[in-house]
Amino acid sequence: MKMKQLYKYLFAAILILQLVACNNNTDAEQLFNETPTTRLNQQKTELNDALLSSQYGWKAVYFTDNTVLGGYTHLFRFAQDGTVQMASDFDADTATYKSEYAIQVGSTVSLTFTTKNRIHLLSDSNSYPIPALEAEGYLGDFQFLYYGQENDEIIFRTNRNNRELRFVKATAEDWADLPKNLVMEQNVIGGQERPLFRLLETNDGTAVHKFDFSFTPATRFANSNSIESGYSVSYDMGIGYTPTGIVVSPAVEVGGQQLTDFTYNDADGSFTATGTNGVSAVIKYTDKPLVLTDDYKFLLPAQPASWFGFFVDDYTIDSPANSPLFYAELEKVNAALPAGQRIATIEIYGNQGIGTLIYYSFIGRGPIQHRVTVEEDAVGKKIILKHKSWGTSTTAATPAFLASIDKYFMDPEGIYVKAESFRLFYSDPVYTFTSASSPFRMTTWKLQ
Amino acid sequence: MKLLKYNKIAVLALVSITLISCGSDDLPGESQLDFTQPTKTSLDNWIDATYLSPYNINVQYKWNQNTVDNSRFLFPPEVDKVKPALEIVQTIWLKSYAAIGGPDFVKKIAPREIVLIGGVNLNSVGTRTLGLAEGGQRVTLFETDYIDKTDRANVSEFIHTIQHEYIHILNQNKPFDEKTWKTLTPGGYTADWYNYEIPESNELGFITSYARSNINEDFAETASMILIYSKAEYADFLAGIQSPFALQALKAKEAIVVKYFKEAFNMDFYALRDEAEKNTTSVLN
Repeated sequence: MKMKQLYKYLFAAILILQLVACNNNTDAEQLFNETPTTRLNQQKTELNDALLSSQYGWKAVYFTDNTVLGGYTHLFRFAQDGTVQMASDFDADTATYKSEYAIQVGSTVSLTFTTKNRIHLLSDSNSYPIPALEAEGYLGDFQFLYYGQENDEIIFRTNRNNRELRFVKATAEDWADLPKNLVMEQNVIGGQERPLFRLLETNDGTAVHKFDFSFTPATRFANSNSIESGYSVSYDMGIGYTPTGIVVSPAVEVGGQQLTDFTYNDADGSFTATGTNGVSAVIKYTDKPLVLTDDYKFLLPAQPASWFGFFVDDYTIDSPANSPLFYAELEKVNAALPAGQRIATIEIYGNQGIGTLIYYSFIGRGPIQHRVTVEEDAVGKKIILKHKSWGTSTTAATPAFLASIDKYFMDPEGIYVKAESFRLFYSDPVYTFTSASSPFRMTTWKLQ
Repeated sequence: MKLLKYNKIAVLALVSITLISCGSDDLPGESQLDFTQPTKTSLDNWIDATYLSPYNINVQYKWNQNTVDNSRFLFPPEVDKVKPALEIVQTIWLKSYAAIGGPDFVKKIAPREIVLIGGVNLNSVGTRTLGLAEGGQRVTLFETDYIDKTDRANVSEFIHTIQHEYIHILNQNKPFDEKTWKTLTPGGYTADWYNYEIPESNELGFITSYARSNINEDFAETASMILIYSKAEYADFLAGIQSPFALQALKAKEAIVVKYFKEAFNMDFYALRDEAEKNTTSVLN
């Protein structure tokens, strides 16, 4: 009987099983019509077809990390046989090189540059632009996860740090003009003849804001902070070079618009990005400091005695604040001196017993004093030095070898004096003297 | 009883229906996976003939994220540098072991995969990782792009890496006498070994500063350094040691290495060193 019952249950169970076994109706929603493998294969084909579809290949301005580094332009031309031709503006070598690529499946379908080429220069632990990036190179990746296509662009995300990277269709000009990116780099760095002060000026259609602007060539990165009190906005941006200007990331947001493409104007060295409704951002030069200080007042008549010194054989020579023009003028002095003689110091003594003077000293010859009078430009916040005498003689002519450098100190427009926040090895305060009408700047210690 | 009998038949019938009822579903078609072999270059063919066929060692020089530490900033080697690097490895390492350990020695105990990396694997403390041995199976060699076959110091450093990593592979197969080793220079091991000059470490009984990181590295460094020294160079090295304690420790470590090779693999360690020296010279010329 027991056995019989068991069979009954078994019978019922198998019957139920039969009735439901082949029921195809699962209530779960079918998200995809294809199996995962089919879909991965489709994606692989889709990506490979896209890579091969563009006649002149693809262009990517790769911002590896736009919080510390700028953009590096790469051009790729993919071929059916698994090879890729590549060029980059990472350094002066913009030639095209051939290597291999592969479409690999990992967490998703990805494009990987499997043998060495230019893009790997961004991922060399032993080649890093600043000490903070030691062992991390330029934070670059060369495996890009495929995220689809949009407006003729291929969207990738980098494998290591998941940043978006877009490939746009390249043109014949892109390949021909790549070396121009490095010419543009020099314009971003700024030539010797350009003024020493630079700013970013934004216009949201109604209000204009000003920001200081400093660019670090090694990282292709710029810092820009508001100079207006009570308006603490910063724009820090990575910069990529183009033949006609720069492209920045993150975008400069002005009046709700994202500005990324700046056009270079060689006439004044400015870079301009224009939006709509009067919105714009301009990176440009200015002859005068963005923030004027009262530091010049030390040298005004009736102040206590002061002493500022620049020394060729000491840390002042390495100051980042010295301008190229200043170094060039030092060289000019040495070139004009007889063999065995060279300039050693330039010191400014203020309000001494004999007045105010510029004191030039040399190796191989005696020092020369240029006695001056000091006038204040209270509006422009600068001092204007005027010739009184060379030494004690009011009739002595300007020594020929000093004529060139000395005229910057005698700038009729005046001299800006600024207490810098940095120190040069010693604890003495650092002051800079900048000619108001030319890119001439000297760094000194304030010694008294 | 009769009913039970029918029941049995009915159950059997139902079971078989259940088992075959879904049999009309789609049969699996062709595989969806792509099995096409990549086109082989002459370099790939050379690798197959030199490493894969004779030794069953796979050489990977193209990038594969699964064999590399993703947190490091590394890149694949220049293709032109792959063959010179592998030739050095073949001549100095494979041939030397084959000559002394017998032709089948490396075939039995070898890394199954050699991964070549182009650049320097720089650590945040400023040291460089030259090689890695993992699980007795895989050896990763860095700085392949920097190989210069005309420079003995350069070749020595590269071969030091593979010798060192292979000692790890051997240890991962047969352990050495760790108990005795531990007692020789117990106080000298330190995590910040890179802060010490090599001569300073020598005077504490270590053949290099890296040997001070732990006893496994100490063993691998001791064995691999003796292998890349010539007999005369090693004698000079020992003669230069001032501390009697250090000299004794170095000699005791050498003895354990020699004993390990004899007992574990029946190999004459000194003959292996001489063979490696001979092959190093032949690579350089």
